Amino acid sequence: MNALDLLAEREDMISPGISACVGCNVELTLRIVMKVLGPNTVLAIPPGCMGGVGVVGWNKRSGAKVPVFFPLLDNTASMLAGIRLAYDAKGKDANIVAFAGDGATVDAGFQALSGVAERGDRIIYICYDNEGYMNTGYQRSSSTSKGSWTSTTPVSKDGHGGKRQNGKDFPMIMAMHDIPYVATASPAYVPDLIRKVEEAMKVRDGLAYIHVYNPCLTGWGIRAEESISVARLAVKTRYFPLYEARRREFRITVPVPKPLPIENFTSRIKKFSHLGPEAIADLGKLAEDRYAFLQSLCRGKDNNA
Amino acid sequence: MNEAEKEYISPVGEGLYSANTGDWRTQKPEIDQETCSRCGTCLIYCPTSSVRRADGRFIINLSFCKGCGVCAAECPNGCIAMTREAKR
Amino acid sequence: MSEIAVMNGNFAAATAARLARPEVIAAYPITPQTPVVEYLTQFAAEGNLGSKMSEVESEHSAMSILSGASMAGARCYTATSSQGLALMYEPYFRASTLRLPIVMNIVNREMISPQSVWGGPQDSLTLRDAGWLQIYVEDNQEILDTTIQAFRIAEDQRVLLPINVCYDGFYLSHMTERVEVPTQAQVDGFLPPYIAKHQILDPARPMAIDPLTSGYLVMEYRKKHMAAQAAALGVLAEVDREYESLTGRSWGGAIASYRMEDAEYAVVTMGSVTGACREMIDEKRSRGIRVGLVKIRCLRPFPREAVMRALSTVKGFGVIDRNVSFGWNHGIVYQEVKAALYGADRIVPSVPFIGGLGGEDITMDLVSTACDTMIEAVDAGKTIHEAVWLWSPRKGVKL
Repeated sequence: MNALDLLAEREDMISPGISACVGCNVELTLRIVMKVLGPNTVLAIPPGCMGGVGVVGWNKRSGAKVPVFFPLLDNTASMLAGIRLAYDAKGKDANIVAFAGDGATVDAGFQALSGVAERGDRIIYICYDNEGYMNTGYQRSSSTSKGSWTSTTPVSKDGHGGKRQNGKDFPMIMAMHDIPYVATASPAYVPDLIRKVEEAMKVRDGLAYIHVYNPCLTGWGIRAEESISVARLAVKTRYFPLYEARRREFRITVPVPKPLPIENFTSRIKKFSHLGPEAIADLGKLAEDRYAFLQSLCRGKDNNA
Repeated sequence: MNEAEKEYISPVGEGLYSANTGDWRTQKPEIDQETCSRCGTCLIYCPTSSVRRADGRFIINLSFCKGCGVCAAECPNGCIAMTREAKR
Repeated sequence: MSEIAVMNGNFAAATAARLARPEVIAAYPITPQTPVVEYLTQFAAEGNLGSKMSEVESEHSAMSILSGASMAGARCYTATSSQGLALMYEPYFRASTLRLPIVMNIVNREMISPQSVWGGPQDSLTLRDAGWLQIYVEDNQEILDTTIQAFRIAEDQRVLLPINVCYDGFYLSHMTERVEVPTQAQVDGFLPPYIAKHQILDPARPMAIDPLTSGYLVMEYRKKHMAAQAAALGVLAEVDREYESLTGRSWGGAIASYRMEDAEYAVVTMGSVTGACREMIDEKRSRGIRVGLVKIRCLRPFPREAVMRALSTVKGFGVIDRNVSFGWNHGIVYQEVKAALYGADRIVPSVPFIGGLGGEDITMDLVSTACDTMIEAVDAGKTIHEAVWLWSPRKGVKL
């Protein structure tokens, strides 16, 4: 089924009215992911934007049409592993899925996720990476880009400050756990996202991890209608390459043979507005370095573009 | 769940909770069906799933549409206009 | 027929867990609980344990996995000690407030610092207000029997709360005793499968577990949680009676009294120190001193009425605590007992004792001296408000 038919025909599994910010591409990502996963799914939404906007529900009401719950910020992966064990014990099957922000994934939730990866618990873990704790007003996470203004890495009136460190290359860290499936995805590349969720559903022997890059309109300072175009520019500048890896087999799924200059991406985002040309060039260099590293992992494939 | 069990002892939610997000809208999208190429880009990218397909045409349901303008910005034919929402 | 075996406390706990047929086990090894995990994995390797087991990377994940499994309707078991319990505090508190009937043995070990791996119930006592049921036991037979009963109590529809069966590290965990083991058929008859009715993660019956909740509903859930704690006292007694009819062994319910019928004085204990105190009581009795013993088995819920009844008829009592309540200058059990007596017709003199921290032995001599100190204070009509410390003489150490 092509992406349009799938999205047009499948039932929306999330409440029609959730309080995500106007234009939020995480809301979009969640609705798409859940249409692909379908009703035979148990969904974990740890504290973060999607929990805060009501996907788990409010006062004896649910925000989703599938079983949904709040794990703790730091135990999403292990709670899901427990659900899988219970299902195995009872001879039942379902998609056991996390939809978690980067804070619950790359920071506090990392140990539990790494443990699940190593043990081979069969769950699908989707991280919506908006580079920080957006639900509480954008505090830095270890996924936040270098230079970013955040409420905990503020910028002085004369333009000094912002985060001093690069973000973790988290999908690569997950790939190095040798799990059956790792992918990066973008709300701007919907067919690619859908296919990757379908691939994750096929995994029978361990963790499937998908890392979605979701520029945050409110936190980063992006116009609502540019929600998708900025996400697209992250890919087109090679800042966030789209690839997948099965154990050690890497493949770039959306090659970017002629990257756009990094400024095309950063200039649309207010959190970088205090940065001078050198700092912006550093972000461009990081993108090129990471892309080159990724290409080296894809050696021998036809997508070295 | 039977009625006795409705007396929840632990925090459980049943039935759908929906915020009235249509109320947030300050501008609303309108598709010009004459120039629309029926590509479905608006349906694919609508964050609130407010676009549906009927008889090959794409129709916006404003009930939960927050008026973000993504559909208009992404439409390859420029056939979606955002107009100011009248005061309610 | 039941089988007589010689086993240490950890083996008794692991055996009880095996007989209870949990569907999911997740446990992380920590001294002195480690052998429990080893025994369980060995049972599984021999094909004698059908549980799904997870070799987790931490206690935090152990409790998290069981929380998920319990929310999906599975019977769950784990065990831990000390720092492991401290690490799992976050999902531990939540397991009770989500009403997940998980069974966990706590092999009591001192909390650091100073660095220590030896016994003491400071670990679980510090978490007494986290909403779990907590039972403390005295010997290996009681570990086995109570751990089996714990599943029945926790999963009872009137209770639906997680439960700890706590036993002293090394004193019980690593000491061998004679233990009578019921047959699998006996346990199966006693313990029907767990069916989750109050909540379930199941696509066939979609629901949200733990949506965002307003304060007035939080109060409603807390009130029901408290009522379930209270209900557990009756269920505990019921389960004890049924188990007795099955095995001939009763542990007395929430408290167990020894030679209290005509007692003028009482010594209150919890855990393995009770054994030494029983002998001490016999010795005092042989000299005509009318002293008895009250063993607290159930600390949560606290058996307020039973404790009040047992202690308001004596002239006075002492409480031996193997733990401290910082800020009170005495132990936690003493504080609990005192609170229970507030409703009594008369307030009798009492003496708090602290001893046996960090695995330090509480000898016959020490409990005997404690008893004498208590009787002296009681006869003088005097309550001692700050703990009397039970020190063993040490060569060359001035205390």
